[in-house]
Amino acid sequence: MAKNGRFMVGLVGVAAVVTYLIWTGVSDTMVYYLTPTELEAKITADPTFKEVGVKVSGRVVPGSHEEAPGELLHRFVIHDVDSPDVTMTIEYRNVLPDTFSDSESMTVDAVVEGRFREDGVFEAKTVLTKCGSRYEATPEELAAG
Amino acid sequence: MNILGELALWVALPVTAWGMALGYLGGRQERGDLVLSAERTVYATFILILLASLGIVDNFLNDRFEYWYTANYSSRNLFVFYKVAGLWAGQRGSLLFWLLLLSFFSALAVWSNQRKNREFMPYVVGTLMGLQLFFIVVLLFAEVNPYEKLGFTPVDGAGLNPQLQNYWMSFHPPTLYLGFTAFTVPFAFAMAALMNGRLDSRWIEVTRKWILLSWFFLSVGIVLGMRWAYEELGWGGYWFWDPVENASLLPWLTATAFLHSIQIQENRGMLKVWNMALVLGTFVLTVFATFLTRSGLIESVHTFAENTTIAYIFLTFMASIVAWGAVMVIYRLPKLQSENQIQSFLSRESAFLFNNLILVAATFAVAWGTLLPLISEGFFGEQITVGPPFFNRINVPFGIALLALMGIGPVIAWRRASARNLKKNFLWPLGVGLGVTAVLWLTGVRHGLALTTFGLSAFVLYIIVVEFWKGTKARARIEGEGFAAAFYHLVSRNRRRWGGYIVHVGVVLIFAAFAAEPYYVEVQQTMQPGEVTELESPLGGTYRLTYESTSSNVRDPDQNLAWQAVALVMVERNGKTIGPMRTEKRGYIRPEGQQSTEVGIHSRPLEDLYITLADVDLEGIILENDPNAQAATFSFMIKPLVGWIWAGLFVLMAGSLIGLWPSAEKVRAPTVASKATVADPAPAGD
Repeated sequence: MAKNGRFMVGLVGVAAVVTYLIWTGVSDTMVYYLTPTELEAKITADPTFKEVGVKVSGRVVPGSHEEAPGELLHRFVIHDVDSPDVTMTIEYRNVLPDTFSDSESMTVDAVVEGRFREDGVFEAKTVLTKCGSRYEATPEELAAG
Repeated sequence: MNILGELALWVALPVTAWGMALGYLGGRQERGDLVLSAERTVYATFILILLASLGIVDNFLNDRFEYWYTANYSSRNLFVFYKVAGLWAGQRGSLLFWLLLLSFFSALAVWSNQRKNREFMPYVVGTLMGLQLFFIVVLLFAEVNPYEKLGFTPVDGAGLNPQLQNYWMSFHPPTLYLGFTAFTVPFAFAMAALMNGRLDSRWIEVTRKWILLSWFFLSVGIVLGMRWAYEELGWGGYWFWDPVENASLLPWLTATAFLHSIQIQENRGMLKVWNMALVLGTFVLTVFATFLTRSGLIESVHTFAENTTIAYIFLTFMASIVAWGAVMVIYRLPKLQSENQIQSFLSRESAFLFNNLILVAATFAVAWGTLLPLISEGFFGEQITVGPPFFNRINVPFGIALLALMGIGPVIAWRRASARNLKKNFLWPLGVGLGVTAVLWLTGVRHGLALTTFGLSAFVLYIIVVEFWKGTKARARIEGEGFAAAFYHLVSRNRRRWGGYIVHVGVVLIFAAFAAEPYYVEVQQTMQPGEVTELESPLGGTYRLTYESTSSNVRDPDQNLAWQAVALVMVERNGKTIGPMRTEKRGYIRPEGQQSTEVGIHSRPLEDLYITLADVDLEGIILENDPNAQAATFSFMIKPLVGWIWAGLFVLMAGSLIGLWPSAEKVRAPTVASKATVADPAPAGD
């Protein structure tokens, strides 16, 4: 039984180390995941929040995509999925995912991770586009197509 | 066919319910006639579900867009190949496909146990039928019926997501699903053991091959997914710690733990409750992985998702299984007592135990990171996410520790390792590991993690090679055989052990490939035709890349292409011409407006050259056909050792197949046993 006891101590020790690793790992690397409206509310409540890195999901505004020719610099606007007047301008210096589009005929949701610059433009480190829902057309869309 | 298929799904409902009831009843009342009848419903269900699945494939092949599922995942001009794959392209079809594989494996389990393990079979059948019943009920009543009609017939379907139009993607989900569903059989046997009270290691022995089969498919499925991401997402990476990837990793981690811990139970009669927990946990995680992929519960790059109510049905289902399993384990606790105790930290048991602790800890960490958005929303009303930095930080040390254990486990003694055992077995391997590390350091490798991984890899490989060498040599001497024959017989006499070592070699290769990541090179360059970019490989050698031109093709309905811009780059390495590489951007006819980038990959044994067309003036090239619109931005990457992942997979597959191959040992059991003990010089074997 003494041996078992020793192993229990070892087990608890391992569990403690793992918990500690997960805990510090989360607090060092976590990022808030917000909608543009939530982000706006947070910044209003606490202006320093503007400098915090966040992940924001919104819908790409059709026709808003501009790119500087010859350099991989993209600028586009996203709006809150539920309240379309809340918008954010995004700047991204890399290759956009294939599923990104600002075409009128498509609804593209983008998840951007980064932070605001002084001039109010959101500088994204990563841009992911969600394509899932679009492939599930409503019956009306199918009838039209 | 479609009418028959839909009908078959409905008929399967009472058949599975009946089969479940008969199985459990036959078990409780020990009535063989009921059990036999229950077993027949297993075969019947397989045929019914097969018909239901063929009906869906038929809908795809015949463009029956009056069905919601077909209309959403197909289009007239989709390749026939992808139409067949339409069965698992979306949530609804995936559920049916899962059920099809489950019913197939159930039938196989019943068929292969007609004359043995009869004490388990009633409950095995009952459990398997109960699980199938659940899936059938979900399919029919949870608004995910793939036979649901739209009420009108669209002219054409919406089309399949182009990212899914990739041959790896056609094999990756079914392979994973094979792994998920194959694990149901060990789970059913474990439940049967809990119900009939036969809680020695018998249920493990009879399902050992199933466990390995499941693990084999899970491993292959995961690596195929990596290959898909590598080719299709165009970032040059293969693993992003995306929720969907994580979900498939979770059951792999626990299944790997289980594969090791059962050896402790078989050899030493320990860890019985732990093994029950692992089999239960792994099964629940396979269900979790299945529905997470298609549920939209968590945001992900590749959730191709829809109906979320189904998430709650599945969560309830998983919670009930865990609760029921826990109750049964507690009820049977007196029969699950350990027969032995661990005697020393320095023992093979202890190495296995650490392996298990690490794998389970990794499972927790990955699950926590994956579910954090949900958990934080539930508790604080705010979504918090973690990304690759979190997962790498946690899992890299775990991976390193597992790598070390892969070397220690095979040669450390059972029970208690003596100082002599340690010195004899580890002095040289440690020397080799340190030697390799030193050589790498001298040749300029300075990254700590890479050095550690390569050093440990050498340590493990050396140990495995020496084990093979010692075994073969001893056998050649004792049996008077040639080395090739001795090697062959050595492996075939204890395929589980030697197959396992070969699997370890595969895993070492894959780990080494991971460790090379700090040495990836990436250059982004905007070029005009005729311009040259030079790229230095970290392994030596220079690539000279000359941009030739971008040409366009317009509309090829046979290939579902609206347009295509193909860039050609001439590649030379150290002055020797390798040839032209192409990378392109494509637009699809269906789904309308969808684009994709096709990458160019030149693979060498030690590195890949990976090129993508990052940006090009599509309007100028495609619409205006402007000869001056040739400026193109490329991403050029060199990826050292990335090919070792796929090579490692083949080694891993070979090792698993050696372990899976049906054995003739029953026929010649006595001689084999005596020979094996003589020919096996290493510590009494697993």
